[in-house]
Amino acid sequence: MEEKKTTKCGGGFLAFVLGFLLSVVAGWVVFPSLLYSELDQPIQFSHKIHTEDQGLTCDSCHFFREDGSYQGMPTNEQCSGCHSDVIGQTPDEAKYVQEYVQKNKEVPWRTYQYQPDNVLFSHKAHEPFECTECHLDVAKADKAPKYYENKLSGYSRDTMKMWQCERCHAENGVSNACHVCHK
Amino acid sequence: MGLDRRAFIKFVVGGAAGTLFTPIPWKLADDASIWSQNWSWIPRLKYGALTADATYSKLCPAGCAVKVKKVAGIAYGVEGNSANELSKGGVCPLCATGSQMLRSPSRVAGPMKKDGDKFKPISWDEAEALLAEKLKGLKGQDGKVAAISGDLSGTANEVLSGFLAGLGSKSYFYMPADQTAMAKTWNGVMGGSGQIGYDLEEADLILCIGADIMDAFGPVVRNQKAFAAKRPMEGDKALTLVYAGPVRNRTAAVADKWVAVRPDGAAAFAMGLVNLLAKSGKSASLGGFSEFADLAAKFGPEAVEKLAGVNAEALKDVAKALFTAKNPVVVVGTEPGQGAGVALNAAGVALNAMLGSLTVLPEFPKAVASAPDRAGLLAKDLVGWLNAVDAGKAPAPEVLFVYEANPAYALPQAANMAKALRKAGTLVAFSTFMDETAALADLVLPAPHPFERLDDAQNPYGLGKATYALATAVVAPEKDCKGTPDFILGLSGKLGVDLGFGAFEDVLKAKVSAIGADWDALAGGAAYVSDKKGSAQASLDAGALSKALAGIKGEGLVLVAQAHLNIGTGKLATPPHNLPTIRDTELYGKDVFVQMCSATAKSLGVSEGSKVKLAAGGADISARVSLYEGVMPGVVAAPLGLGRTAWDPYTKGKGDNVSKILAVSAEPGTGFSVWAGSAVSVAKM
Repeated sequence: MEEKKTTKCGGGFLAFVLGFLLSVVAGWVVFPSLLYSELDQPIQFSHKIHTEDQGLTCDSCHFFREDGSYQGMPTNEQCSGCHSDVIGQTPDEAKYVQEYVQKNKEVPWRTYQYQPDNVLFSHKAHEPFECTECHLDVAKADKAPKYYENKLSGYSRDTMKMWQCERCHAENGVSNACHVCHK
Repeated sequence: MGLDRRAFIKFVVGGAAGTLFTPIPWKLADDASIWSQNWSWIPRLKYGALTADATYSKLCPAGCAVKVKKVAGIAYGVEGNSANELSKGGVCPLCATGSQMLRSPSRVAGPMKKDGDKFKPISWDEAEALLAEKLKGLKGQDGKVAAISGDLSGTANEVLSGFLAGLGSKSYFYMPADQTAMAKTWNGVMGGSGQIGYDLEEADLILCIGADIMDAFGPVVRNQKAFAAKRPMEGDKALTLVYAGPVRNRTAAVADKWVAVRPDGAAAFAMGLVNLLAKSGKSASLGGFSEFADLAAKFGPEAVEKLAGVNAEALKDVAKALFTAKNPVVVVGTEPGQGAGVALNAAGVALNAMLGSLTVLPEFPKAVASAPDRAGLLAKDLVGWLNAVDAGKAPAPEVLFVYEANPAYALPQAANMAKALRKAGTLVAFSTFMDETAALADLVLPAPHPFERLDDAQNPYGLGKATYALATAVVAPEKDCKGTPDFILGLSGKLGVDLGFGAFEDVLKAKVSAIGADWDALAGGAAYVSDKKGSAQASLDAGALSKALAGIKGEGLVLVAQAHLNIGTGKLATPPHNLPTIRDTELYGKDVFVQMCSATAKSLGVSEGSKVKLAAGGADISARVSLYEGVMPGVVAAPLGLGRTAWDPYTKGKGDNVSKILAVSAEPGTGFSVWAGSAVSVAKM
């Protein structure tokens, strides 16, 4: 009878705490690694080679079109200006030329901060900000960063969330009315 | 410590409580909402460069110079091209929907052959081989091969008519329009050359007799621009507009004066003006003018009042306005843009000649040397020919090509005309959309949408200066279609008919070169405008006109069909985007409305909303009555463009086709088929 009582009080509390702690640890440590697929870019693009060795700047490839819309990832048409044939030593460049340029196929680049269609994000309107205020700083990276894809939503882990947009707008005195981003 | 049942439950409860302090539930809920954006049926935006490419849209009868707005090469919108002289940045309600019509559910997906009551897909090579086989044995036999064209300005007609001429056939016809009636008058009866034009830009007074220049006559957008340029919102107006017609329509709505004229009395009204101007000393250097003026003398104010319903004072006021204006222009035509006779057009020519405003545009040189002259073809009487085929007085063609036209729906006495079309051995429809004629055809060969093809327009009717515009393919074809002239050029090669060209692009380049225009400028969206004038020499045949004018009765109930660009044309059903612009007094539910004034309604024993049957020419339609005092007594107005039996679910089966009850008669003296202001009976249902 007494032994039973001990189990009821001390063992029950410990089991609760144990379950609580385990789920907290699982939620913060294990869950993220289960939720995201760790993916590589189709081509291991080296920003370093292009910026440090070739002296390109961000907007050499990621530029605004004449109409003010943002190019985003460069297309074969732009890349093949230099890479119509293999000019370097890296296997990924050879792969790019053979698999994409010669087959006239665009590279299915994974966009780290792809926004859904119901959001209108104008890069032009955000031109005064440094790219790295929102984007990963990849200018000196020799390898493309890992891309974490949410297994449920299909979006990148780095896709900016609405609260981030709203906070930045609030801090900069820009309207947070729905129609500002949702056209 | 052992883990008994109670401890396990506490462990689970602790775990559940713990999750609330982790991202798991909140992140999953958020991701689930984002996941719902990825469902396969949710449309995806196309990202890419925004461009606007200039071309010439042939969706409306006159055509608009437009810019097709695209994102990543996909068309999504249309705007006017302000760099083009023709429409000066404006766009009509049909061409404005051009990008949506690229994806119309009624588009023909590929070549098809009739198989029983249905169609089965065939390849372009099969279609060419099939037609080559049929046509081989018909070469050199006039009347065995015929063609109907609904494109009144394109050089494609030279390819098609040259091909027919090469096969030995003269049976090439254009769909009827104000332009064909004027060609019959000016080029046929009067023996003139070139094309009648209207210099609205220079006018200080425009008198429209029947011609609804703001909605249905000629280059509507250019007409509106010419009007607006001289009627600024602020400041003095430099133009007076007078509308003379049976209905207070969209032209009358902006006119300074509306003179109610019976549609069957328009020629009498114009002759009344000729008479008053002649009495005031105006004359014209046209052959036979003095005999014509003598004929006009029979149309004194009293006669005009009897025949046209216009009182003497109103007639005199209009004549006085014409007499005192510096640059008056008289535009003659009809409310629906078709069905007028030679008498009205001749009177219009005479009026302009008397006022010093007769404008004749020279024809541009031909590219296909073996093609018959355009003016001669325009003057031919399609309705008269089909009536003869229907009556067995003319042989039915073995092969009938229909290009950019929908005669089974748009011709007067439409049901009879469709019957005559069915008499053709093989009916071939070159059509972008599955219209009523394509549905009847044995072979449907899809033409590219105007934004997907190379095309052109020479002297769209109604302009005051010789004008040429080029259309370029600004979007990739979304269906398995082929340019009709290119198909015909391939077919002519197989049949040994030498048109001198292997591709339509070469035909157009030869045309542009012959005109002396710059290809690159035209392809960039500019129009070529020439100040050259054609010869204004012609003769007014008072004998033929006397008989034509003697046929005007000026009594009884007459029908006036109204063409409204927003509703569509014979060639193009209402674009889905335009359906909300159709008024409740034109279509409600599935009922088309006819308009009449309360005096007419009272005499017929009907009232607002009454269901009525309208009958004429052996056919009838049902409709409801809408009372409108903007329709003169003795006239019933009804909108064209409804009552489709083909096309898409948005337009099919709504209202009735007024063309069915446009009763055709032969104009006395000229024999030309006319149906403007035809008699109609109205009975309460």
